[in-house]
Amino acid sequence: MARKPIPQAAIFVAVAAYNEGGVIRSVLRPLVAQGYSVVVVDDGSTDNTWRQLKGSGAYRLRHPFNLGQGAALQTAVSYALEQDAQYVVHFDADGQHSPKDLPGLLAPLLAGRADVVLGSRFLRKEDRQAVPFSRRLILKGAVLVNWLLTGLWLTDAHNGARALSRRAAQRIVLRENGFAHATEILQQIRMLGLRFAEAPTRIRYTEYSLKKGQRIWHAFDVFVDLLIKRVLR
Amino acid sequence: MRPIQLVLILVAAAFVLFYFNRLRSRLLDRLLFFVLAVLAVAMVLRPDWATSVAVFLGVGRGADLLVYLGLSGLAFLWLGLYARQREMDVRLTELARRLAKLGAEKPKKKK
Repeated sequence: MARKPIPQAAIFVAVAAYNEGGVIRSVLRPLVAQGYSVVVVDDGSTDNTWRQLKGSGAYRLRHPFNLGQGAALQTAVSYALEQDAQYVVHFDADGQHSPKDLPGLLAPLLAGRADVVLGSRFLRKEDRQAVPFSRRLILKGAVLVNWLLTGLWLTDAHNGARALSRRAAQRIVLRENGFAHATEILQQIRMLGLRFAEAPTRIRYTEYSLKKGQRIWHAFDVFVDLLIKRVLR
Repeated sequence: MRPIQLVLILVAAAFVLFYFNRLRSRLLDRLLFFVLAVLAVAMVLRPDWATSVAVFLGVGRGADLLVYLGLSGLAFLWLGLYARQREMDVRLTELARRLAKLGAEKPKKKK
């Protein structure tokens, strides 16, 4: 593989953590070990997440109260940009992503082929097969909804792994505090005319992440939120 | 006068008093509110006025007309409150974000 022209520390991994005290350290450890800069925003957790972050090797920020994943991610990205991040990676705090996928996510950016790279669990056969059937149905439904709302046809939806160039990270500003940010990002990619690509990511479905993953059912709320917003603005 | 009329007039009067005492004091708002209260009292005292307006509009009964208008008004109120709520959320988020950045802790340098 060609040597990367930029130092690893200029790549910032942005993590939004809400009550992830049990797993957050093990999620951060490999990222820090590989030399990435890591920014974690504790989104007003009520467990020991904040204490777990101490000494984790990550920048740690804390919202005074819970605002939602989109808001925490935006705080993390905005802070990373202030620390001169050249690339920003969105990475879920619950351990469902693999740090091994980061080079693949970043490659289209480093090659100058894209401004935003979206992770997809439907590009590689082995990733696809890891997705439980019910999950697959919901996700494909979400792909359709995203297409209706944003005009972007992707292979995956609500995949928290994304990579952005500095310019894209500056221009995409999340205003949806909740889970609607996943669709909002697509809307902004479209409106700002950013170049995007998809890259394969594996999703680890652990009992833990599946329990947390109930959030996928918020999809309906998300849809209503975005719809109301469209009507109001 | 029927008892219900007295009750409704007292409610209207209490509203006006409360509004003028506690809430916003822009002259235009006060005037608007006062006119609305006077209209309300008039409707209470002379229900036949509301009925003639209703008949003119093709509704039939004054009470029905008031329900339709009332519901439309409530819908607008709800929209307005919703919009304001979202605006407050945006400000609150901005505030929380700045606080979080002020309290940010950098990792200790390795080596």
